[in-house]
Amino acid sequence: MSGLQTIINACNGIKINRRNVVGIQYTRNEIPRVSQTPTTNAWKITLDMPNSFKYNEARALMEELDTLDTTTPQLVTFGNNSNLQWIFAYQGAMTAGQIATCTVLTYVGNQLTLTGLPAVGATTVLFKKNDLIQISGHPYPFTTEEDVLRGAGANVIITTSRPNIISTSVVGAGIVTGTTCQFNFFCPNMPVYKLIVGGYQRTGSGTIQNNALLQFSDSFMLYEFVGDA
Amino acid sequence: MDIIPAVAGNKTNINSAEFVKLTIYNDVANTADTSVYTFSSAYKAETIDGQVYTPLGGLLGVGIQQRDIRVTSADTSISLSGIDGNNIAIVLATKVRGSELEIIRGFYDSNFNLSNTAHRFTGIVTSYNLAEERHDLVDNFTVTINASSYKSVLENRIAGRKTNTKSWQQFDPTDSSMNNIYSLSDQHFDFGMPVTRTAATTSTAANDASSSATNTGTTEGGGP
Repeated sequence: MSGLQTIINACNGIKINRRNVVGIQYTRNEIPRVSQTPTTNAWKITLDMPNSFKYNEARALMEELDTLDTTTPQLVTFGNNSNLQWIFAYQGAMTAGQIATCTVLTYVGNQLTLTGLPAVGATTVLFKKNDLIQISGHPYPFTTEEDVLRGAGANVIITTSRPNIISTSVVGAGIVTGTTCQFNFFCPNMPVYKLIVGGYQRTGSGTIQNNALLQFSDSFMLYEFVGDA
Repeated sequence: MDIIPAVAGNKTNINSAEFVKLTIYNDVANTADTSVYTFSSAYKAETIDGQVYTPLGGLLGVGIQQRDIRVTSADTSISLSGIDGNNIAIVLATKVRGSELEIIRGFYDSNFNLSNTAHRFTGIVTSYNLAEERHDLVDNFTVTINASSYKSVLENRIAGRKTNTKSWQQFDPTDSSMNNIYSLSDQHFDFGMPVTRTAATTSTAANDASSSATNTGTTEGGGP
């Protein structure tokens, strides 16, 4: 665990922003005119940090954040900490083994077609709305816009929250879901830290050892790093 | 007038991206020797008229494009990321001035598939600009390429022929229209005064003002 993953695990608030790039105008008779640019629609999350890190315990974290700086992306997940696994938890009815058999038949625009589906009832919900889906080997999570039922066919079509931004072929690739998904984030505003009074340590001999608490200058605004996928 | 289905019928929601193609002519004598660079604001590479437009070119912005019913002169510009050193190389290491700039707008359906395209601008690159924006520890570079429409280029073009044999025969070597026209080169005229000097050179049927033959036909107030 390092850098941004530590921040995610310790934050006391997460703001998620994955809105589209749009232009909106209201005509004189109040009819909205909307234009949208089909961008990669990168995830943006903002993490609020408490002043709870003790300086002597956070030396490694400070070095990791300084090394990452404002430019270097890092893979993070919401699944490696038991306290966070409720976020983005998979809500469909498939088992891990059934998910592992699913493969991509096609993925064009925002229409993801999966095959290799389990033999379950037609009304079984394979994916609930807002479930995370990730194509194996590519760190770009997508969410499902609607509940997806198994149906009777060999394939199901899933409408994803954003189009397929992966530039290489994904046909035949497997999928991962929920907290298994990874995000590739960098922190363009990487906050600096300030040492404030607090965090005193009592040594084994009973003496008080000076210490400090870390106060970050801002929230951590993580931006999904979408390069040539 | 082109009908673009994606925006016809008074649509209230449009999903579109810009596609830019820059064709640089490497050799003026060989128009087939070109380098093509593409940029787009789309989420993935798209193929339009056989040309792949990459989304990784670093397109930051596209300037306004004036649209008129009549053919008019208009300029526009595109902004590229200068952080990608390739874009700086495009303007500094190639013959970008005089190259062709095309801007196309692509329209997407609700499933993010490119459904239509419309040609927005075709012109000639007239200049470029490199700008560095540094604020504290943030240091960015922007490449701006300015282009003029073909009409602007034609308006600024100086064209024509000189009234001498050489110029005339540049287009048609057999043209003898100017064979009997004396050259004005080296002629001295004292308008309103008696002729005091004569030209040192003259045109002949075989040559123009560069001929060394002496013009002996000059009269008062004369000239061709």
